[in-house]
Amino acid sequence: MATSPNYGWLEPDNTDLVKNGALAIRTLGNAIDTTMATMTPKSTVTTKGDLVAATAASTPARLAVGNNGETLVADSSATTGLRYTSGTVQPNPVLNSAMQVWQRGTTGTANSFAAGSGYNADRWQNYYAGSLTTSRQSTNDTTNLPFIQYCARVQRNSGQTNTGGLSFGQTIESINSIPFVGKTVTFSYYARAGANYSATSNALGIGFYAGTGTDGNVFFGFTGTSTLLNTTSTLTTTWQRFTHTFAIGSSFAQLGFVFTETPTGTAGANDYFEVTGVQIDIGSVALPFRTNAGTIQGELAACQRYYYRQGGDNLYVQMGTGSGYSAANCYFWVRPPVTMRVTPTAIDYSTLAAYDNVNVVTATAAGIDTSLSSKNSLMVYTTHSSGITQYRPYVLTSNNSTSGYLGLSAEL
Amino acid sequence: MENVTFVEIELIGGVQTHAIIDHGNEQFTSMPKSEYDRRQAEQSTPIVSDETQIK
Repeated sequence: MATSPNYGWLEPDNTDLVKNGALAIRTLGNAIDTTMATMTPKSTVTTKGDLVAATAASTPARLAVGNNGETLVADSSATTGLRYTSGTVQPNPVLNSAMQVWQRGTTGTANSFAAGSGYNADRWQNYYAGSLTTSRQSTNDTTNLPFIQYCARVQRNSGQTNTGGLSFGQTIESINSIPFVGKTVTFSYYARAGANYSATSNALGIGFYAGTGTDGNVFFGFTGTSTLLNTTSTLTTTWQRFTHTFAIGSSFAQLGFVFTETPTGTAGANDYFEVTGVQIDIGSVALPFRTNAGTIQGELAACQRYYYRQGGDNLYVQMGTGSGYSAANCYFWVRPPVTMRVTPTAIDYSTLAAYDNVNVVTATAAGIDTSLSSKNSLMVYTTHSSGITQYRPYVLTSNNSTSGYLGLSAEL
Repeated sequence: MENVTFVEIELIGGVQTHAIIDHGNEQFTSMPKSEYDRRQAEQSTPIVSDETQIK
């Protein structure tokens, strides 16, 4: 018996008897019906631009067309494995989200919840009622992390007995918070625990806050603060990515978040948590991790809007030029590489001196003259026991020490 | 152990009082006394991050 060329339907041969035609037609019709039942009817698509996608193997379904300008991306959590998204992705507002920038040094003990205080890693504030150490560590994992080199380790120092919260968080400046207001967002991060992590059930607390004021501090508390997320993640000693989706009301003007270990007992040698790859995305899906700037120089510049340190890596690093103001004081003009958020309100320093190309005169103290400083040019004074000649030109330098530095802080 | 001293210094803009915090390791932080007072006041206030502690 003959068969059709594509689907192999049985057809009568040319020499078959006409009396068998009814059976041949019914056989052919049934075969066609069976084949058509496996095909997607054109009624599946109802609107211009609709696509046919699959919800599972051999299970086609309509994917409605997106809005003008949107693009199609893969998303395993969507019914069809695809979804439309706005053409542009908002930059990650979390600065130093991959723990790459540590201008103050890659380990530190700064610890405060007052605005402008308690920073070790750039943009990340720490607080614990006992003593803590924050340090940069290698993630040492290319399986569970998308090739993120560093993380922050937040550690309750060995022997500490205070069981108050060990907190690590970031305040996002209003100008970077506003694009996320009035939207559903997904907050994501990678975290793991140290071998002696002491929190009950290995829980890591996560609080995400919003405020109605401008440029407050999340640790101290925003003006008009609301808690948008207060939950825990269960850590193991292996990296995991955690995601939380929630809405941010349109009345807010500032965002911030805090990770908190609530320790128990006496700290062992490895009572810490590590975190990196912290990100906020608009929508209900955590996109692949990306830093705010995309390059290390861009990320550094973004952080220097809040804090800038020079020195610390060589002897006699020159940091500014100026002159003798009196026998005991010099003035120096110091220009940060990027315009800072506000006129710095504090400086930190170590091992400074004034140098006139002949003599190095040790500084006993230094400070910022806020009345003569701005966001992009600062007036730093130094105090000396003696040895300064009034009106003589000087340079501000680290004093024969690789530990000498000058830091300018405009932190939130 | 941190040590705080307050110094009055005559600057171009007039006499200012500054707080100098000695962190005890040849590292110092310096700021106008008004900024220091603000930070001290904040340090004595309950903080929002306490909410994230597991009760």
